[in-house]
Amino acid sequence: MFKKLFLGTTEINFYKLGNTFLKVFIVEMTIFIAVIGLSLSGYRDLNLSVDFTGGTTYQLSTDYSSDDISDVMNNTILKVSRYQTFENSNSIIFRAVESTQDKETELLNYLSYKFDVPTENIEFQRVGPTFGAEITSKGLRALFIFLAIIVALISFRYELKFAIIALVALFHDLLLSYTVYELLGLEITPSTIIALLTILGYSLYDTVILFDKLKDSQKIYKRNNLNSDILNKTFNEVLMRSINTSLTSAFPIISILFLGNYLGIDGSLSDFAVPLLIGILSGTYSSIFVTVPFLSKIIKTN
Amino acid sequence: MKTIIKFLFLPMISLSLFIYVFINDISPKLGLDLQGGISLILTAEEGTDSELIEQAVNIMRSRISAFGDVQEPEISISGENSVLVQLPGITDQEKAIEAVGTTGLLTFRPVLNSSLSLGYSPALTIVENPDDPENPIISAPNGVDSLTGLTINDDPTKVSYLLSLSGGYPVIYELGPAVLTGNDISDALAVYPQNEWIVQLVLKDNSANKFTELTKQLASLTGEQRKLAIVLDSQVISAPGIALDVNPNIGITGGTAAISMGNADQGESANNLAVVLRYGALPVSFERSSIQKVSATLGENTLRLGLEAGLIGLIFVSLFLIFYYRINGFIAILGLSSFGMLFYSAISLLGKYQGYTLTLAGIAGIIVSIGLAADSYIVTFEKFKDELKIGRSFQYASEKAVTEAWKTILTADFVSLTASVILYVLAIGPIRGFALTLGLATIFDLIFTRFFTKNAVPLFAKVSDNTRLFFPIKKEVLSNV
Repeated sequence: MFKKLFLGTTEINFYKLGNTFLKVFIVEMTIFIAVIGLSLSGYRDLNLSVDFTGGTTYQLSTDYSSDDISDVMNNTILKVSRYQTFENSNSIIFRAVESTQDKETELLNYLSYKFDVPTENIEFQRVGPTFGAEITSKGLRALFIFLAIIVALISFRYELKFAIIALVALFHDLLLSYTVYELLGLEITPSTIIALLTILGYSLYDTVILFDKLKDSQKIYKRNNLNSDILNKTFNEVLMRSINTSLTSAFPIISILFLGNYLGIDGSLSDFAVPLLIGILSGTYSSIFVTVPFLSKIIKTN
Repeated sequence: MKTIIKFLFLPMISLSLFIYVFINDISPKLGLDLQGGISLILTAEEGTDSELIEQAVNIMRSRISAFGDVQEPEISISGENSVLVQLPGITDQEKAIEAVGTTGLLTFRPVLNSSLSLGYSPALTIVENPDDPENPIISAPNGVDSLTGLTINDDPTKVSYLLSLSGGYPVIYELGPAVLTGNDISDALAVYPQNEWIVQLVLKDNSANKFTELTKQLASLTGEQRKLAIVLDSQVISAPGIALDVNPNIGITGGTAAISMGNADQGESANNLAVVLRYGALPVSFERSSIQKVSATLGENTLRLGLEAGLIGLIFVSLFLIFYYRINGFIAILGLSSFGMLFYSAISLLGKYQGYTLTLAGIAGIIVSIGLAADSYIVTFEKFKDELKIGRSFQYASEKAVTEAWKTILTADFVSLTASVILYVLAIGPIRGFALTLGLATIFDLIFTRFFTKNAVPLFAKVSDNTRLFFPIKKEVLSNV
């Protein structure tokens, strides 16, 4: 198996599998749309960080019991919406809803008294909802300009049809990331938005390398358009690179997650790592499973 | 020989830069999230004049430098209407935030007395101690610090004892309640009509009378009581006296006044005073859209995590490449470690000369770029394999592979580069740090692919034509496809 994979002589008929992949793609899309529909109609809430909702976070290192936590969650000063604890660490994070500065300070003093931690040792973060909104709106603007340039670039280097397929793969990756976040209830922070933007770059990078290979194969077969042989040859050959690349890209990110969890460090670095990992896996997946059915369709219409 | 020089060119440059940076003890400038401190984003209303924001930033800078305690404050305009304030290693958080964020209150208050005539704060009563003549008994009214003789919580509607540092030496003034505020002023300009600088003050129409009344009253007094203090946020900025030729029955009329500033500093103090008078304090009001406090330990931990994760990632990638691509794997490792050294040096130097700070987002960018840089090698080596498979000689295959791979990587990296440029130009705050490192890494990746890999792979293909030394597979299997 490895030998065949290595040599690119696995004889997978991607052209024929196109239909199956298409069905998988349709099922995926149905799930994505259902999840988005649920969250839009208010049945499920996205877990947005305080940067988007406004509020305060308190992080402290202390010995605590579950009674302590429920005391804090039921305190009368300020509504604490969530808490987070870590394995291998005695850090604990509380998130409170937006309120007045007095109330926030009162809760800070309360936590300080309750856990016997000086107030200056409590990480304290207060944000208005505008910061998250600003990052999102600027990010979206960047996204649209980026997409326009990329479509132009891919159309110029390859074909308009390819550019559209690359976009479909990209939206697939975005929707998949969104759905994973929604279903696992992972917290969305400004770092997540940055990571999502990277996923876009990564997904396109992967797809472009594939198209390049496709173009090479066309040259070898001395043809100007695709056929099923070219498609099968290319994808069988490219499998190994896809696996290798996602492995080498994933190693550093997995080590962030493992180390972070081991050292008990939450925070922005893990906020980056989770969506990046999802994005790299999804990007690798979509560069094969999402592009193939559409490329097969192109061949059929030819 | 020539090819060996070409091959070692980039690793040598990277190594020497790294040694240079190391010997001169230049290390990356750490952002606040890696070092500890307070980071604050202030946002003005949409569509605020950018000149006003620049002025506000200048005022914030001077306020923070008056604050002491801050190591390297960084206050910069970020985006169209936001100001990013970074105060590393600060302890008194609330006070620092207040110092930059609030618009401040400008008041005009009559001087009742000052330390200039007494030699100590007018708030203090000093009675000789009959038992110990060396240590007189000092008492202070409520709300006044008995050590400094300054009012602790200044209320502009009551008598206060406030400090002035503007004369080059400290003066404590006893001030009456505020008569006028910054709102009564319509304009202030520093001008140099003849021989000395003056600040030309113009009052609003309905405030001119109040000013005339005030100056009438002050002109009837002598000494310190003839002075009018200009107070900004509990600090006396200036306390000009009413000129001796002002008639106590008429006062200063016409809604304008001139404050003589002398000639000492080429009008700098006149300009500063005019700015304060014009804008009260900050010319625009800001909303605190984000406040983040990071303790030094959390910052250190995060940095350690980032570095360790990067290193472990690099080791795994290296092991994998050696197992899989053998000799070529070593090329990749040499390339990747040179890449790492060059990158570290570049970030350190950028920090020193361009003020670039390495943040968490930047570290994430670096870790992602390790993966992308490794991919460039994989693409090249896979092309090499493909060429061998169709029966090319090692030499020909290696040369063809690097040329073909260059084209692919150029296109793919162009996508990454476009993404980072757009992100850098359009985004704010943390996204920019990320975009910059990613863009820098992509450029280095292109340079390495073109000038290192392109020379290295054909050079090492000459070493042997034993497939086993390049791939985990036998020659017969490879050529039997």
